[in-house]
Amino acid sequence: MPAHAFFFYIFSLIAIVSAIMVTTSKNTVHSVFFLILDFISISCLFILIGAEFLGMIMLIVYVGAVAVLFLFVVMMLNVAQQKNQWFGAATGSKHIPVGMIVSLIIFFELLIVIGGWKLKPDLSNDFINLSTTNITNTHSIGNVLYTDYIHLFQLSGMILLVAMIGAIVLTFRQRSGLKRQSYIRQISREKNDGVELVDVKNKEGVKIDV
Amino acid sequence: MSNLYFIIPELFISLSVMALLVLGVFKNNSSKIIFYLSCLIILVSLAINLNINITQTIFLFNNSYLVDQLSLFIKSIIMISAFFVMFCSYNYVRVNNILKIEYPILILCSLLGMLVMISSNDLIVFYIGLELQSLALYVLASFNRDNILSSESGLKYFVLSALSSGLLLYGCSLIYGFSNSTNFNEISQNFNFEYGVIFGMVFVIVGLAFKISAVPFHMWAPDVYQGSPTSVTVLFAILPKIAALTVFIKFLYGPFINLFEEWQAIIIFLSVASMILGAVAAIGQKNLKRLIAYSSISHMGYALAGLTTGTNQGIQSSIIYLIIYLIMNLAFFSCLFMLKRKDKFYENIEDLSGLSKKHPILALSFLIILFSLAGIPPLAGFFAKFYIFMAVIQKEMYFLAIVGLLATVIAAFYYLRVIKIIYFDPEQEKFDTAMSLGLKLTLILSTSAILMYFLNPNFLNKYITNILVI
Repeated sequence: MPAHAFFFYIFSLIAIVSAIMVTTSKNTVHSVFFLILDFISISCLFILIGAEFLGMIMLIVYVGAVAVLFLFVVMMLNVAQQKNQWFGAATGSKHIPVGMIVSLIIFFELLIVIGGWKLKPDLSNDFINLSTTNITNTHSIGNVLYTDYIHLFQLSGMILLVAMIGAIVLTFRQRSGLKRQSYIRQISREKNDGVELVDVKNKEGVKIDV
Repeated sequence: MSNLYFIIPELFISLSVMALLVLGVFKNNSSKIIFYLSCLIILVSLAINLNINITQTIFLFNNSYLVDQLSLFIKSIIMISAFFVMFCSYNYVRVNNILKIEYPILILCSLLGMLVMISSNDLIVFYIGLELQSLALYVLASFNRDNILSSESGLKYFVLSALSSGLLLYGCSLIYGFSNSTNFNEISQNFNFEYGVIFGMVFVIVGLAFKISAVPFHMWAPDVYQGSPTSVTVLFAILPKIAALTVFIKFLYGPFINLFEEWQAIIIFLSVASMILGAVAAIGQKNLKRLIAYSSISHMGYALAGLTTGTNQGIQSSIIYLIIYLIMNLAFFSCLFMLKRKDKFYENIEDLSGLSKKHPILALSFLIILFSLAGIPPLAGFFAKFYIFMAVIQKEMYFLAIVGLLATVIAAFYYLRVIKIIYFDPEQEKFDTAMSLGLKLTLILSTSAILMYFLNPNFLNKYITNILVI
């Protein structure tokens, strides 16, 4: 159907252009904005092929959490105005022309591949099946996630565990010399431990220290 | 339940990871206990793994996980080497103040990832295993976080590895798009010679070549090897390479055996480039860890040469090469762990000068190991190269054999230079002699294995001959 194709091209175009803008914009905050645009158009693409659940998850997780977190980090680090002269004056690094040539070659190779691409008929049948059956999207994911793919689910859990351990190991520091409040010690403190009667000798004074 | 019988080693390791974490939280100063418990856990899972007997290939979880002779054998090898890596590095870890409870736990996680990788029969399982092992390794590389080199190496490894994972995933998506499945069995049935599948395969090979640091994807290796703590470097040099090379074998000879002509040229290129660059670039190195990084690049080139043959003999020779490579590396690094003077470890080549005068036994071990790495005849390293060249020549790939021999000759130069420095240069202050039992044991076992291999060269073949990939 032409309308479907029209929207597909619109959203893919936006996704690609904004992905390029993420890497080229000079202002890091703008980069993050383009990243959000990229995520949104990709989630639109998901919705177009009938995977609403994935699209919504994409919105909630990537736009709602990850991108906002990025924005926070960027603002905290104060790197908004980077001196980025990649596409500007000639004082930039020498790697860029080489990188451009390599990426152009890869791009043309991709064009050749896509030229020989025949979209598999059974692949598009799958999409139609997905959107016409009575089972909802969430239901069909739930059907396989904890049955056929249980081992992958558990292993992903392990990956998250490793990520958590890693983040803690690399950043957590036990600071010494820190005065911490201990409720138990405060409450259980008695008059006998806290107050002491001292005989003050003349011309010597009292040393007030713990 | 009967399915779970075949993955008990993996289950055991993942459960013990959680138990150890809990132990670490509730018991103070438990780093040492956890370190030794992890060694024990590896041994127990090794015992479980050796106990699994199979007569045919077992497919689990909708054919996405497979247990066969190759994967069982490589799993045992990986667990044995992980045990020795931890066993010999305890002293180094303790002295350098990186003995935290997370250190052995991360090694266990990475081991788990490797086991999953080796057994994978599906692109998703393979990718998840790969990520699990690399994620733990990123953290381990920068574990000595107060050291700027260590942080740098961790960051470098993370960024470059993420890039290679991206390429690998792109390849996976192409393969899935053109063959309509992520399962290795189905991929091999579904595709007909389409450019997309070949393209995807090339990208996956790139990602894997990065993991074994084959040229031209080797740039990260010297910096990461030098920067990370030596106890992690020895891990880097051994475990991920065995796992990734096994996946190489399973990937190329599983779903893509029909594309043999296409990937053979790529693997030959990777192999030739690695052998030559590893041999030439190591000449100017001053740091022993950088030297061993280039040497491992070149060794991976030889191991890949066995894969280009497309015969069972070639694959078996590659596996034997890997095993001997890991023994040599274990021995080399246990020697490196011995270069300690007043709680400081030395790792430059000039620190070795005149070692033979005051430490004759250590110098002799260095001599044996370096001769073996160079491939001098009666030692194990010679047999490793010999099997590879036999397999290559039987397929009449003379070019590869000639380049390999030339690279061996070039590489012999820098190994011999180190020996010359050990034996003929002015001597230096004495190193510490009090060494831990684990370190001594590892050095003795590995060096005598290298030395005695020629007495019974069929020793390994006995285990290898029932590994038939094709």
